[in-house]
Amino acid sequence: MRIRFALALALSGALAGCDSLLDQSPTDQLPDDRAITDARGARTALIGAYNALQATSYYGRDILLFGDLPSDNAEHTGTLTSFALADANQFRADNTSADDIWNAIYDGINRVNIILEKAPALTDLEETEKNEILGEAHFLRALHYHNLVKFYGDVPIKLAPVKTVEEAADIVRSPVADVYAQINADLDEAETLITSTEPTTQATIGAVHALRARVALYQGDYATAGAEADEVIAEGYDLGPYADLFDAEGIDTPEDIFKVTFTAVQFSLEGFYYTSEDFDGRGEVAPTQDLFDAYEPGDERLTWSITLTDDGALSGSKWATTVGAEDMHVIRFGEVLLIKAEAQARENDLSGAVDTYNRLRDRAGLDPHTLGNEVTTQAEVLAAIDHERRVELAMEGDRWPDLVRTGTAVSVLGIPEFQTLFPIPQIERDVAPGLTQNPGY
Amino acid sequence: MHRFRNVLLTLACILAAATSLSAQTATLRGTITDSLTREPLQGASVSLVGTSLRAETNDRGQYALGSAPAGPAIVRIQMIGYAPAQRSVTLTDGGETVLDVPLSSSAAQLEEIVSVGYGSTLRGELSTSVSSVSAAEIANQPIASIDGALQGKAAGVQVIQNAGNPGNAMSLRVRGAASVSANNDPLYVVDGVPIVAGDISQLGLGGQSVAALSGLSTDDIDRVDILKDAAASAIYGSRGSNGVVVITTKRGVEGKPTVTFNSYVGTQSAAKRLDLLNSTEYLELFNESATNDGYDPDFYGQIGVADSISVDWQDAALRSAPVSSAELALSGGDERLRYRIGGTWFDQSGIVSPSGYRRVGGRLNLDFNPTGRLALSTSLAVTSDHNDRVEGDGSGEGIITNVIGESPLTPIRLANGDFAGPDDGLTYVNPVALANLNTVEARSVNILGNVEARLRITPSLQYTSRLGVDLVNLKENQFQSARVSGSEAAGLGGTAKSGYSASDRYVIDNFLTLVPNLGTRSELDATAGGSLELTRSELNFIRGDGFSSDELTQVSNAAVLSEGDATNSRNNLISFFARGSYTLDRKYTFGASVRTDGSSRFGVNDRWGFFPSVSAAWLLSDESFLKGGFFDFLKLRASYGLTGNQAISDFPFQGLITDANYGNIPGSAPSNLANPDLKWETTKQFDVGVDMVFAKGRVSATADYYHKKTNDLLLERPISATSGFTSVFDNVGSVLNKGWELSLTTVNIEPHRADGFRWTTTLNLAVNRNRVTALFNGQPFNDGIRSINRVQVGQPLGAFQTLHFTGVDPQTGDAIFEDVNGDGAITADDETIVGSPWPDYTGGFTSTFTYKGFDLTGFLVFSQGNQIFNAMRIFSASGGFFLDNHFRDELDRWQQPGDITNVPRASFDGVSGAAEISSRYIEDGSYWRLQDLTLGYRLPERFAGSLGFANARIYGSVRNLFTITDYTGYSPDVNSNGSNNVDSGSLTGSSQVGLGTDFYAYPQARTWTFGVQASW
Repeated sequence: MRIRFALALALSGALAGCDSLLDQSPTDQLPDDRAITDARGARTALIGAYNALQATSYYGRDILLFGDLPSDNAEHTGTLTSFALADANQFRADNTSADDIWNAIYDGINRVNIILEKAPALTDLEETEKNEILGEAHFLRALHYHNLVKFYGDVPIKLAPVKTVEEAADIVRSPVADVYAQINADLDEAETLITSTEPTTQATIGAVHALRARVALYQGDYATAGAEADEVIAEGYDLGPYADLFDAEGIDTPEDIFKVTFTAVQFSLEGFYYTSEDFDGRGEVAPTQDLFDAYEPGDERLTWSITLTDDGALSGSKWATTVGAEDMHVIRFGEVLLIKAEAQARENDLSGAVDTYNRLRDRAGLDPHTLGNEVTTQAEVLAAIDHERRVELAMEGDRWPDLVRTGTAVSVLGIPEFQTLFPIPQIERDVAPGLTQNPGY
Repeated sequence: MHRFRNVLLTLACILAAATSLSAQTATLRGTITDSLTREPLQGASVSLVGTSLRAETNDRGQYALGSAPAGPAIVRIQMIGYAPAQRSVTLTDGGETVLDVPLSSSAAQLEEIVSVGYGSTLRGELSTSVSSVSAAEIANQPIASIDGALQGKAAGVQVIQNAGNPGNAMSLRVRGAASVSANNDPLYVVDGVPIVAGDISQLGLGGQSVAALSGLSTDDIDRVDILKDAAASAIYGSRGSNGVVVITTKRGVEGKPTVTFNSYVGTQSAAKRLDLLNSTEYLELFNESATNDGYDPDFYGQIGVADSISVDWQDAALRSAPVSSAELALSGGDERLRYRIGGTWFDQSGIVSPSGYRRVGGRLNLDFNPTGRLALSTSLAVTSDHNDRVEGDGSGEGIITNVIGESPLTPIRLANGDFAGPDDGLTYVNPVALANLNTVEARSVNILGNVEARLRITPSLQYTSRLGVDLVNLKENQFQSARVSGSEAAGLGGTAKSGYSASDRYVIDNFLTLVPNLGTRSELDATAGGSLELTRSELNFIRGDGFSSDELTQVSNAAVLSEGDATNSRNNLISFFARGSYTLDRKYTFGASVRTDGSSRFGVNDRWGFFPSVSAAWLLSDESFLKGGFFDFLKLRASYGLTGNQAISDFPFQGLITDANYGNIPGSAPSNLANPDLKWETTKQFDVGVDMVFAKGRVSATADYYHKKTNDLLLERPISATSGFTSVFDNVGSVLNKGWELSLTTVNIEPHRADGFRWTTTLNLAVNRNRVTALFNGQPFNDGIRSINRVQVGQPLGAFQTLHFTGVDPQTGDAIFEDVNGDGAITADDETIVGSPWPDYTGGFTSTFTYKGFDLTGFLVFSQGNQIFNAMRIFSASGGFFLDNHFRDELDRWQQPGDITNVPRASFDGVSGAAEISSRYIEDGSYWRLQDLTLGYRLPERFAGSLGFANARIYGSVRNLFTITDYTGYSPDVNSNGSNNVDSGSLTGSSQVGLGTDFYAYPQARTWTFGVQASW
């Protein structure tokens, strides 16, 4: 009888202790309902939103590489199939890099959407800081959507975080015009809310104007582009030594407007992928001979950007180390000057345009152009600006979007029209039946 | 679920009450002999029907059963290889009864004791489907771990070796596979302890992994029982879906001390070399690719100049390598204490330098009966292994990857003796430099032990309490030299990584076994109890870059500490279980079991899972209408039950955030999307089977048909990335596995004398059909290397989906692909199902001849009807698009209009379709392999005796003598997706559907061994 009692006791004791043993949580992660519940949470969430930019498929490598690889600036010299097909302008809906870039951008969008949803209700955040956090989130969302629209065209607009598995599949693409409307709305918010002017590794008021100038240029709104560029110029940015922009440790320069910080631990693979195997890089991608030839004799930017190997092959050397601790510029003053110059030229202020882009020629150790001499017509000025953009911003992810923006991708590269937009990833369409594909894929 | 637990509790009380605590006792003893030879039989089982009393005979054939209830009793005597016997006796109170029984021999294996989880039973009495493999069948195979030794040994158990590197993890599939994101490997239980068998390594070396299971020495294993149907595996509930491999280690038997010595040495070499181009052929192909696309015809160099040397990289990297093994064990004991102490050594060098695997281990198994009512057992094994690993499948710095990919035009070393690199004309990082300058060491210590106490409360009721521990500690050190030019590490000045991973598991089981005396017609055997399992995993990792010398290889020597990690995770499982088996008239058996598991891996809503099963068996051969007829034994079985699978990471149901830092500022970001409804994957399995023995015991056969439907798959399914997440764990879809299995053992030639000519054969054959029957919204998706494995309703799990290559246009030399959607263009939408990695049938065939002291065994394994995605062809059959060396079948390429061939023209720009992934890269993976051929000779007893041995045998054997296959890679027995890592808490594993891909897998060896077995 005693045994039976002991058994019953032991069994019931075991039952009582059960459920607490089953309540386990990870030691290195937190339940998501504990995110952004106080000021500290909001601050760290914003930092987490910047962290999204460091992703390998974002400014850590792909979005920059894929801004040059399909163009005449860069060619594939490695092994990755998705890179080879991008170089050959043979994108297909299953291109894994096109998928990875899409994923990385939407990851970034989700992070800011959570901030924009939760931070407004926080009571322990002082108003200025709250505004700054929300403003920077709006800025990032504008940047993300512009990156999407310039590669993919129509894309789904997500403005609130997805909370359940079911709602994730319920998406459709919005037309390019709607996406731009959203970008402009976010930039309006950002301009109202942001007051900071530093650090340049986060969004500042100057970054808002600079991005707005870029977005306006893509929309063909040259008046706004010029005006916003002037706002940036008024902030006091200046050109410095070209090489400083790509410093191995990522030092600050007067030209910085917004850049993504990288370190030896949170590294970018841009330099490693562009650097030839001869210089201990991966040599997955190399500058083209065409780009090399595009530099005028004496252009100091060439010696910094491209290095010849012993057997004459081209190695991308803009980011001179393979460690990847260089900061990656999202937008810098040099580009803003080029935006202004283009806006001026489009609006027929040709001499103003030449003066503006001459600042970059001067920095590169080249003689300035004079209107009526090297360039005379509007077309010639625009061509000079296009050339200047190509060499100034080489390997920084601008050449391909520029060719697409100016409608010259088909003629310059000899590719079918449909290839000017990346395909919507097939894997996305498989899980979200409402997503349409770009024509041709 | 609370109600169920109350039921269990009540049941436990009833069991206790039903048992009389007061009984008069008697003793039964006697001797069991062979009826023909009159020799005493050791190891015969003597049991008293209606009690849990059981004894084994000692080396003099003697047994003793104490504490038996007085009165009339039925005594059953059973032994493998002999027909069972049953005797009625009357035991007198306080007296001693003597019962001697001679047994007559039989070929059937009905009397072996089969472990079924929390107990054991005799094969002839099973009402469920269990395959067994004995120590003799797995002994002396030159392979590190038990899973590999099981290949082809049990019907319905498919073993895929993944790759040939020593100590490598393997894929084991019992009756197909159902899971997409959860693990498909079975549960391994060693002496009652469910062990951590998977990979806990932190170094991703490209597909291939190290398995904790290889820490278990095969020499220590006495038998392996594989629980296949639901009624057998439901006792392990939430982990029973993939089958359960129950491993029992060797224990001491009563008798004088016996020393066993077992050793072999051998040599291994690559079983196959790939046919690659020599330098002239290489140059011709590449220059032709340039010519075809309008480039300089001598783009790659002039023939006759640039092809002055031709390097055979396979010769440079492959070697012949030794393997050796030794076991020394001492066993024996008396009625009170039995012991077995063993030490094992296994040392295998890999055929690719510098890989190798070495293990030393010791095991102590003790059984102690301090009183007639109390028995204590302990099992304790400590093993230490050292694995020299190499970068593997698909890694850009993998030795085999680059051996195949490297251009033959450039020498291995430069004139100054340094290794050549990509700067010197190599296509990739020099594989010989990788082999010579880089090291990856994985050292682990495994401690596996348990203590078990069995208390016989009454003759009918036994209480068992068991505490088990399984501790795995893995230390890894990798050094990548800066001198391997072109490598990632070279750019960093050298890299060192150091990792420590630990997995601790504690298991506490308590259960009661009731075998009441229900008279002579009825037998009941019931077990009920509870189990608690606590698992904790922990890891540390650090990496440094920048080294001043190749002699200073520790992370502490690094200029920069570039990566660090330290974390831990836990999961717990609480279980209650009960099983009963009732037999009427020794002919009709009804079984049932239930288990309920509570798991910390699921949310509060669906934390408890319930897994019942029922089974029945009918011993037809004992019916009067069949008795004495054709069948010596004929039994029909049927079972149905539910089992589960929870082999996913620890916290997939929780919405989580984690650190996401930016520069040196701490940040946070979402890491997992919540799915609070996540629950168990559940398999419903129906099984019917028949066991038969006929032709005077010379033919025994077992056949089973099963229908296994898995619902609520735990699936890391893709979701739209616009949510911020690319996948989520969900219960999605169903997979059906159905098939049949046959095991057939025949004695083809039976000698008249004991040492005459004897020929036996054993065939295992399994047919499994695997089909996905439902998915989330019916949406298919792809997984695996190059996303080639399709998960789609109506198709086998992981079927190959790619462009369908139909031939080469004789006019242009371009590949022709099927325009599946008929839109006039070949796009991703034209990808279609072109094959399946699942075989039509698999199995093994063993043929054994013995004559006098000689024995000759041939063992064939086979797999037929499966395809392999030969992913090496992406690069080495690309028509010159990639600079890799190409396979020789590229010599058949189209060269001029009118050529009829299956190989597209060479194309510099990759526009001929040769470089397009398509069914051109999918090959037939069917094979027949002579896995083992052994010739042995047992020394005559008088001669052995004069040398001091009781028994001695010498043998020579060859493993993998030949493989008959059309597959062009190294081995069709391959899985470059490897086994994943779910038990260690990572959320990465989704390679479960990616079977059948070969992406530069390590070649398999042919091994010649010579060995000695002796005892004295």
